[in-house]
Amino acid sequence: MTTETNVMRRWMRIWTMPALLLVGGLLIPVGPAEAQDEDFPGVTLGLLYETAYQPALALKPFGGRLGGEGPAAQVEAIIGRDLRYTDRLQVMDSLPEALVGGDIDYGLWDQLGAVWLLSGQLEGAGEGYVLSVELHDVVYGEVRNRGRFRIPDVESPDFRLAVHIVSDAVVRWLFDEPGMAASRIAFSRRSNDGQTQEIYLVDSDGENLRRVTGYGDITMSPAWSPDGKRISYVSYKSGFSRIYELNLDTGAEWALEPVREGDYITPTYHPDGRHIAFSISGGAQSGLFSFDLERDCCFSHLSGGRWNDLSPTYSPDGRWMALNSNRLGTGTPQIYVMPAGGGEADLISPYLHGQEGYYTSPDWSPVGDYVAFHGRIGRYGRYQILVAQVSDRGRRITRLTEEGNNEDPSWAPDGRHLVFVGRRDWGTGLMVVDTATGNIRLLLRGLDIRTLEWGPSLGIDGPETLRGGGF
Amino acid sequence: MRMRGIIVPVVAALVLTAACGGKEPPAPPEPTGPTQAEIDAAEQARADSTVAAEEAQQAEIDAANEERQEEMQRLRATLTEMVHFEYDMADITSESERALRAKVDILRNSPDIRIRLEGHADERGSNEYNQALGSARTGSVRDFLTGFGISASRFAMVSYGEERPLVNRSDESAWAQNRRVEFQITAGEIHVSDPDDRQ
Repeated sequence: MTTETNVMRRWMRIWTMPALLLVGGLLIPVGPAEAQDEDFPGVTLGLLYETAYQPALALKPFGGRLGGEGPAAQVEAIIGRDLRYTDRLQVMDSLPEALVGGDIDYGLWDQLGAVWLLSGQLEGAGEGYVLSVELHDVVYGEVRNRGRFRIPDVESPDFRLAVHIVSDAVVRWLFDEPGMAASRIAFSRRSNDGQTQEIYLVDSDGENLRRVTGYGDITMSPAWSPDGKRISYVSYKSGFSRIYELNLDTGAEWALEPVREGDYITPTYHPDGRHIAFSISGGAQSGLFSFDLERDCCFSHLSGGRWNDLSPTYSPDGRWMALNSNRLGTGTPQIYVMPAGGGEADLISPYLHGQEGYYTSPDWSPVGDYVAFHGRIGRYGRYQILVAQVSDRGRRITRLTEEGNNEDPSWAPDGRHLVFVGRRDWGTGLMVVDTATGNIRLLLRGLDIRTLEWGPSLGIDGPETLRGGGF
Repeated sequence: MRMRGIIVPVVAALVLTAACGGKEPPAPPEPTGPTQAEIDAAEQARADSTVAAEEAQQAEIDAANEERQEEMQRLRATLTEMVHFEYDMADITSESERALRAKVDILRNSPDIRIRLEGHADERGSNEYNQALGSARTGSVRDFLTGFGISASRFAMVSYGEERPLVNRSDESAWAQNRRVEFQITAGEIHVSDPDDRQ
């Protein structure tokens, strides 16, 4: 591939997502041109969606009453950052109250360039607060949406989550799409001495980092239940690789009783929350199985052979499954899609016979027909994030990253952002890429993160919500 | 040492018999037997040669034991010698084949030995895929050994993927050392056959 055609490819349109409000625009190249040996066959470098117009949103300084004065600014700051992180809006810098006044002057906000204005009032309500927010359409000079949300005390462990739920409500008002603010990322982190790995959680905005296992052994491959209340993972604490489930509310742990020999690895939840799927690797035969958690029984064989099938991930409707398999050779693992109950598997990664293309770590988008994975060409190639559109069985594959090493992508609940382990000259850690703009930001710097999964939205029908949208 | 315990009472009995003689205390008889010093010397000589014999015997036993220990060590080292793999492969290399062949006889002669196979990968590639690669490597090793008639039930297998490197560096030499299957003896004794049986 010559540099010229490479440049041409980078400017090509990929495909459009009808659900998105599109105003058009050129694709922005996400980084400098790359070495030729990293060209993936049939893969286009670019973005998943055409870049949409990003309207400007201003936040009127949030007011407080009856004890809400102090935390109001904190609530406003959390929401402001959440909205900036959506990559759907240009969030304007905060302006001092003295400048923008107490009453809303739509003319002034229009002059400042705002299309949307968010105002909020935090009131003490005995225990915790009630936050009233209003979304104003500056152009039409009217309130578009309003909602009231219960916010616990600032010291409460649920305080930040409750505020994130408000951010997701605003995203829903603006775009009628799911947000990702009220969600968490689980990951395995290696200790500084390299001897152990434990599971950690962090909020979507990089705050609230905490450890949830403490086995003093290797524990990895966390997976979220669809309700966000449980995580499943692999631990070696028994001396063997086994699958466990931890209830995050109660701390209760459940262990999957092995029925046959082998390494039990890479658990994932079915969207019904009742079944998990995983790989039993090694032994005479290796394969994918599912298990019924509710009945605590019933191993069901899904696929397998004298090769390794692993890393299953379900489609949002639960009818399909993407998986990793080395059935074409141990040196060239590929990504496949097959019916969730097993059956014929279709290759979706850009396999080219004779080329050392290595593709692993699939993750199916929670909202659409996209499977993200990482890949490299040649044994010294660098890892890049790729996304296959699977509605037409992987005929369209887009590469999202160019710089450094990019591994283990996992979709945010908004179906638009991906978290991954990024290694750059300027930093290493948990990074988030927006598949629509190509924006990449570092969420957690410096930790030795091994495996990860972005959890579901905790905002939909969350107990903290009073129900936004008019009252 | 055992002899000394018998000799001492016999000598004491002789002395006692001589002391309780007839009615008239006769003149002390001319000493006709060996002198006390001679008795002591003889006794000492016998004792000494007994000790020497015992020591020689013990030395022989020690030497045999030491040889056994050395042999045991050698067999243990052979049995637990790790085998290495090519990049991203689980196939047994010709070098590994020699190492594994050497384990077969030991496993045959020591039927109560149980082995834990630990599979490992180098740091390149994804963590989860490397777990599966480690599983494939322990599987290859076990399949090779069971192919020589060693029962599969004698092996436990676990893959650590890339999570437990032997050498914590990122270069070819470290990667080559990290792509391995380790052997741990979890139960049983290594049986060392008698020197006479061993040729």
